[in-house]
Amino acid sequence: MSSDQRDPVATPIGRRRFLTTMGAASAVALAAPARGRAQAREVKVGYILPVTGPLAFEAQLALNGLLLAVDEINGAGGIKSLGGAKITLLPGDTQNKVELGNSEAARLIDQGVTALIGPFSSLVAFSVRQVTEKNKTPFLLLATVADNVLEGGLHYCFRMQPNARAMATLTVGNMIEMAKSAGTPIKRVAIMHEDGNFGTTMGNHVEAFAGKMGYELVQRVPYNLRSPDFTAELSKVKAARPDLLLISGYYGDSKIIAETAAKLRIGVHALVGLANAAYSNPKFIAENRELTDQLFDGNYWHNPQSPRARAVFEAYQKRYSATMSNHGVQGYQVVFVLKDALERAASTDREKVREAIAKTNLADHILTQDAIRFDDAGENVNATPALLQVQGGKPVVVGPARFVEAKPVFPVPKWKG
Amino acid sequence: MTWLFFQAVVSGLLLGGVYGLVASGLSLIFGVLRIINFAHGAIMMLGMYASYWLFVLVGLDPYLSILVTGPLFFALGMLIQRIVIEPNRAAAEHNQLLLTLGVALFFENLALVLWQGDFRTVRVWYSGASFLVADVLVEVPRLVAAGGAVLIALALWGFLRLTDAGKAIRALSEEPEGASLVGIDVARIRGVAFGIGSACVAVAGALVTPFFYVAPDVGESFNIMAFVVVVLGGMGNFLGALVGGFIVGLAESLGAAFLPGSLKQLVVFGLFVIVLLLRPEGLFGGRGGR
Amino acid sequence: MAGRIGLFLVVALLAALPPFLPKYALEVLISVLFFGYLGACWNILGGYGGQFSFGHAAFFGIGAYTSTLLFLHLGLSPWLGMLVGGALAAAFGLFAGYLSFRYGLRGPYFSLVTLAFAEMLRVIAVNWKAVGSSLGLVVPNRGSAPALFLFAEKLPYCYVILAMALAALAITRIIERSRMGYALAAIRENEDAAEAAGVDALSTKLSAMAISSFLTALGGTFYAQYFAYIDPSLTFGPAISIGGLLPAIVGGAGTVAGPLLGSFVLTPISELTRAVLRGRAGADVMLYGLILILVISFLPNGLVGWFRSRRAATGRTA
Repeated sequence: MSSDQRDPVATPIGRRRFLTTMGAASAVALAAPARGRAQAREVKVGYILPVTGPLAFEAQLALNGLLLAVDEINGAGGIKSLGGAKITLLPGDTQNKVELGNSEAARLIDQGVTALIGPFSSLVAFSVRQVTEKNKTPFLLLATVADNVLEGGLHYCFRMQPNARAMATLTVGNMIEMAKSAGTPIKRVAIMHEDGNFGTTMGNHVEAFAGKMGYELVQRVPYNLRSPDFTAELSKVKAARPDLLLISGYYGDSKIIAETAAKLRIGVHALVGLANAAYSNPKFIAENRELTDQLFDGNYWHNPQSPRARAVFEAYQKRYSATMSNHGVQGYQVVFVLKDALERAASTDREKVREAIAKTNLADHILTQDAIRFDDAGENVNATPALLQVQGGKPVVVGPARFVEAKPVFPVPKWKG
Repeated sequence: MTWLFFQAVVSGLLLGGVYGLVASGLSLIFGVLRIINFAHGAIMMLGMYASYWLFVLVGLDPYLSILVTGPLFFALGMLIQRIVIEPNRAAAEHNQLLLTLGVALFFENLALVLWQGDFRTVRVWYSGASFLVADVLVEVPRLVAAGGAVLIALALWGFLRLTDAGKAIRALSEEPEGASLVGIDVARIRGVAFGIGSACVAVAGALVTPFFYVAPDVGESFNIMAFVVVVLGGMGNFLGALVGGFIVGLAESLGAAFLPGSLKQLVVFGLFVIVLLLRPEGLFGGRGGR
Repeated sequence: MAGRIGLFLVVALLAALPPFLPKYALEVLISVLFFGYLGACWNILGGYGGQFSFGHAAFFGIGAYTSTLLFLHLGLSPWLGMLVGGALAAAFGLFAGYLSFRYGLRGPYFSLVTLAFAEMLRVIAVNWKAVGSSLGLVVPNRGSAPALFLFAEKLPYCYVILAMALAALAITRIIERSRMGYALAAIRENEDAAEAAGVDALSTKLSAMAISSFLTALGGTFYAQYFAYIDPSLTFGPAISIGGLLPAIVGGAGTVAGPLLGSFVLTPISELTRAVLRGRAGADVMLYGLILILVISFLPNGLVGWFRSRRAATGRTA
C-alpha cells in the first residue's frame, strides 16, 4: 500500500461515497468503535490537516514529515507485532475550517482508521476532539498549541509537542539563563502577539510567570494579524524600554514586525520569536537573509546531537530538496509515537492502541527532550522547545545546554538603539 | 510620550494616504453607480497579485507595474460592471450590494484556488530604506505609497474637473436623469467610473506591495477601511475620501499607540457607526444615507 | 392539499432519516439544518422586512457567549441560558435597530452599520479577559447530560436543530400571515408609502428585529453545545453572518421554505466541490459567489420564487 498520497483521489468522496455508505448504512451506524481485525495486513491511520487553504504551506511541511516516517516504517517491514502490517495513510483536508475538521474526522472514522493525526489549528482541534472522543478514537495532536485543547477530561487525545505554557516558560527561561551567562541580564520583557488564540495564550503565560521568573513585563501588545502597519504598536514597545522583545505571530505579520523593529532601533538585546511561524522557518530565512540574521525563536526542532535526528534531517533534505522545518519534525515523530504504541498493543483495536499510547515511554526519538511520556491529560510531560538562533542562514540550536550545536550571539547588536 | 505621539501621527498619515486612494475609487463608484462595492478590497488584492507576478516573472518594479496594472484593472472593472452590474442596475439596492458581495467571494477564493494561501513578498532594493526625522521613523516605501496615492487621487480629481469624460461622470453622479437627457452615454460612463475606481484600488495595491505581503485575504482589511473612509468623507465626495483617509489612518494609529490591547479597531468602527448615525452625508457632504 | 401532503412527507422524511445516516452524512445534515435555521432567522428581518443585515453574527455571538458563560459560572442549563441569551440579543437588536432605523439608515447603509456592530462586538470579545478573550470558552465534556443540552451522540443534536429549523419556519409562516407580516411586506416594497398608509414602520421593523435576533441567538447556543467550543472569530465573524443570509437569498428571501431549501442546495454543493476538486480549497466558496451573482441576476426571488413562477406559467395551481 503506497503512502504517497499527495493527491488522494482514490475514491472521490461525495456522491459515490454517500450512496455506497448509505447502502451499508445500518451496519455502519450500529458499528462498535473497534473496527478492523487484529491481524490486518494494514493499519489505517488518518490525518486531518489544512492541506488546502490559508495554512496549506505549513500543512504540507507537516505532511512531508508524516510521509517520510510512514515510508520509513513500511520500508523496514511495517509493524512487526502485527505480522508486518503496513501503515496506510488516509487523507483528510480541513481547509482550516471547523466544520470540515468535524466532517473529515467523522468520515475517516467511518473508514475504519485506528487513529487520527492532526489538525494544526487549535480552533479545529476543539471540535475534532469531540468527534474522536465520542467515537473512542485515539487522536494525536499535531501543531496544536492551545493549552485548553486537552482540558475537560479527555481520554483519547494526546499531545506530543510542548503546549503553549511549556513553549512560553521554557523559552523565556532559556533566554534568561543565556542572558545571565552572557553578562547582560534580562529584567524587562515585552511581548507583541497576534490577538487570536495562539498569540493570546502565549501572552497570558508570559504575563503570568513574570514574577516567578524574575522579570518585569513592561509592555504587552496584542495586535490585529491583518494590519499592514505595526509602527505604532512597536513604538509603544520601544517607549517601555524592554531588554527583550518576544513575538508570537504568523508569517506575514512577524516579517513586518521584525523589519519595523530594526528600523525603529527598538533597543532590545534580542528579538525572540515565541513559537513564531516565521523566525525559524527555512523559507522565511532564505527570503530575508539580512533581516533574519541572529533572530531567536523558541520552537519545536529536531535534536542536532542525535545521530538519528541528523539522519532524518538528511533524508528529508534529500527527498524534498528543502530543509526540514519544525512542522516536518512533528509530522515525522508523531508517526513514530503511534508506531511504538501499535507495536506494544499488537492490535489495531482503538481501545488497546489508546492504552498503549497512554503508557508510552519512548526514548528513541529525534526531539530536543527526554523520553516521550504522557500524563493523565495526554500532555507530553517532557516536552521541551528548542531555543534557536539564525546563524549563517540557518536556524541552529543554542539551548537547552545538552542539545546545543552552536554558541548564541547575545546581545544582538542590530537591535540596539 | 511625545515621541510616541509623533511617531504614531506620522505612520498613521502615511497609511492614511493609501486608505485615501483606495477609498477614492470606492467613492467614485458610489457617486456614479450608487452601489457600495463590496468587491473593492478583492480587486485591490488582485492588483497586488498582478504586481507580484509582474515582479517575479518579468522583474518589473511594483511602482512601474502601475503602468500595466492601471489600464488592466480599468478594463477589468469595466468588464465586471458590464457583465454583472449593468444588467441589474434596476434591481433593489441591497441586491446590488449582494452582487458585489458575490464578486468579492468569487475573486477572493479564485486567488486562493490559484495561488494558495502562502504569503508572497516582493523585495526590492528600496524595501528596507528608511530615515529618521528627529527620532521619528519614516519608511521610504510607505512614504512613496502615501505620496503616490495623493498624487494619483489629485490627478483623478483634475480629470474629473477638467476633461469632458470627467465632467460627464460628475454630471451623471449629480443628476442622473438630466445627464442622459443631454445625450451623455450613461451606460458607458457607468462602466468608465467602475473602471476608474477599480484602477485606483489596484494601483493602491501596487503601491503597498513593497512593504506589505500578498495573500488572498489582504484586501479584507482595506475593504472595511475604505467603507469607513468613504462614509466619513462623504459618499461620492472624491476629495473627502482623500482627507477621510488621513483621518482614519490617524485614528487607527493613535488608537494603536495609546489604547490597550488591539482596541484600535474599535476606534475605527466606532467612528464609522457614529458618522453613519449622526452625519451619514459625511464630514464634507456627499450622497448621504437617508 | 398536495402542498400539505408534500410538506408532511418532507418533514416525516427528515425526522425518520437521521438514525440511518453514517456519521459523515449526519454531520452534513446537521450543517444543512443549522444554516437553514440561521437563514430562516435572518429572513424574518431581511427577506420579509427588506432590511438586509450583514451582521447577524452579533446576535449569534451574544447567544453563544451568554448561555456558555451562565453554564460555566453558574451551572445554569443551556436550555435556560439560551433564553437569557436570546433576550439579551433581542435587547441589543432593539438598541442597534432603534439607532439605525431612527436615524433613517436604509438599504446598504443599514447593512454596513450592522456589519460594524458585529465587528465591534468581536473586537470587544477578543480584548475582554472575562469572556475568555481569544482563548474562547470550552464547554466541558460531560458525556450524556440531556438536561444540560449535552449529548454523547450526534443524533440528538440533529433532532434538536431539526426541531429548531422547523419551528423557525413555522414562526416565519405565522408572521407572514399576520398583520405584522403585511406591514413588513408594505415596508419592504416602499417604506415611505407604507408610512403614508399608516404603517408604523419603526415599531414594525423593530419587532422583526427583536424576533430575528432572539432566534439567531438560540442558534448560537446550539453551536456552542454542539461544537463544545466558542471564540470571538467563530461566533461574531462574517462566516456566520454570510453563512446565514446566503441560503436565504438563494432559496428565496421572503419565503417560508426559502432558507432551508437554499441550505439544502448550497451545502451539498460545497461537499461535492470539495470531493470533486480535491486540492482546491476555496473552490466551493468561489462557486457560492458565482451562484449568488446568478441568483440575484436571474432568480431574484430565489429558488422558491422560480418554482412558483414556473408553476404559474404552466397554469397550474396548487
